[in-house]
Amino acid sequence: MSDEAITPRAPGKKVPIFSVTRVWTIAMSTVTQLVRMKTFYFLLAFALLLLVVGNVSFASSPAQALSTLKKVSFGAIDLFAWLFAIVATALLIPRDIEDRTLYTILSKPVRRGEYLLGKLAGVLVVIGVSLAVMFVICSIMIIWKQVGYMADEQAGGGRKEDIAASLALIAKNGFRIELAAAAYASFLKAAVVAAVTILLSTFASSSLFTIIISILVFLVGHAHSMATDYWLRETDNSMAVQMLLKVFKIVIPNFQLFSFSEGIVAGAALAPGVLWQMTWLTAGYLVVFLFISLIAFVDKEF
Amino acid sequence: MSEHAVEVNNLTKVFRTGIGNQYVVAVDNLSFRVEAGEVYGLIGPNGSGKSTTMKVVLGLMAASKGEAKVFGLDSGDIRARNEIGFLPENPYFYKHLTGAETLKFYGKLCGIRGKKLKARVEELLEIVGLEDAAKRRLGGYSKGMLQRIGLAQSLVQNPRLVILDEPTAGVDPVGSREIRDLILRLKEEGYTVFLCSHLLEQVQEVCDRIGIIFEGRMRREGKLEELIKIEKQTAMTLENASPELLAKIEDLVASEEGASIVETGHPRTTLERLFIQIAERRSKEKASAEKKEEAS
Repeated sequence: MSDEAITPRAPGKKVPIFSVTRVWTIAMSTVTQLVRMKTFYFLLAFALLLLVVGNVSFASSPAQALSTLKKVSFGAIDLFAWLFAIVATALLIPRDIEDRTLYTILSKPVRRGEYLLGKLAGVLVVIGVSLAVMFVICSIMIIWKQVGYMADEQAGGGRKEDIAASLALIAKNGFRIELAAAAYASFLKAAVVAAVTILLSTFASSSLFTIIISILVFLVGHAHSMATDYWLRETDNSMAVQMLLKVFKIVIPNFQLFSFSEGIVAGAALAPGVLWQMTWLTAGYLVVFLFISLIAFVDKEF
Repeated sequence: MSEHAVEVNNLTKVFRTGIGNQYVVAVDNLSFRVEAGEVYGLIGPNGSGKSTTMKVVLGLMAASKGEAKVFGLDSGDIRARNEIGFLPENPYFYKHLTGAETLKFYGKLCGIRGKKLKARVEELLEIVGLEDAAKRRLGGYSKGMLQRIGLAQSLVQNPRLVILDEPTAGVDPVGSREIRDLILRLKEEGYTVFLCSHLLEQVQEVCDRIGIIFEGRMRREGKLEELIKIEKQTAMTLENASPELLAKIEDLVASEEGASIVETGHPRTTLERLFIQIAERRSKEKASAEKKEEAS
């Protein structure tokens, strides 16, 4: 081996405390990972489901058929969003740990918070794009059926007043731009579910455990008011119980709050300001869950 | 005085096992230094604490006691990680990414962008000899190719220190020699290399200094020549020596008081060298046969 003096390399450039580009790099890598896992095949299944529901209907009237189509499609959108948020998030971080990919990422100048944020952002981008595509497919289907029913109604003949009433009913149960708010509500709910799953996966030992517990939290979160009411009624309502309830209310998000989307799908008007309120509430949940995740993850040893 | 690339002082790492007060001491009061520009090998059997030490140096684990510094920075400091390139044992990268995408991903994490990143990726692919496999997904890479892409990603931000954990684990002798050559090239280019291995011959071939760790403690440390030389013995290899010459040498040694011949015989090649010779000869024959075919 040569003993001649070798000039050591110069120090590297400075590292910013927080880098949005590092977060975005991890997010985009997560998106590529999910896309190449053929996640978007789900959209094909969704389109098929809508075709079946739209064409094989046992409804007694066009209005009822449209209502069923809306309920099924937005139900499927909601189911996809939260289920995907749980499964994708639960698979990504434990897999990185198991495959030791995390070693190479965290041995680069990447903060653990940036990694968690990047993973969450990646999952949310995929959910957001999927929901947007599903919403467009769903809207096209509803409008197509609505136009068809209206044409049939007008061609069918009868009294002008009856036709006008039928057309009004079809329009009421057909496409409304407010339906976009229902899809947005599903997105917000999925974002909270993903944040809960990130928190669980920072200390869980397996993806399966994370998925099961996340689903449990999701289900309990849907019975939030019922659970708290029951607890207060059945216990002595002491200080300790009150404290426990507060912890429960923070740890288990109230997913019932996102159920306003069901009303919109059923034809109810969108209350003014509700989207802003829900956006802020979701942002609050994300901050809290990411902060707790970071506390659990920052000292985790690999 | 040269700058320490790695400085480990009284490092102790204790792991709790199970419930209660059961624990295992993986690293016990370990101290050593890696100077800038040298190739340092930490050797020891499996479970001796090599990887744990490495993880503490990388900031993936916190020390129970003591400290680890990289170019004077605490190993937990994010700035220290900008100075380190790390190749883990049996590296698994994202299988869905191609070789070039993998290097781009790690480059972006280090803040490299645009044309600079593109040029660096091409340069690294050329260094590790994976230009032809740049657009193939890692899922289709062989073990040796994964190891080489791993080495390339460790160099992406042009770090001052490269940490290699069992860099040739599971790689065939030819691939293993290529990685060894790359390590020597890194040294020539001024990188500091800190490698952990239990493959002693490999360490012997590339390292300037060696630390022998066993049960979490440093047992011996020093320059390779100092550690392996046998002070009282001298080796001499002769070529085309006649039996008469050998007899004369034996007589000469016998006439010297206290001197004796310990061993005589024909020097042997190692199995690894033999394997490489055969592989190289075969590929040369194949190449020349292909040339002949083309010519005819």
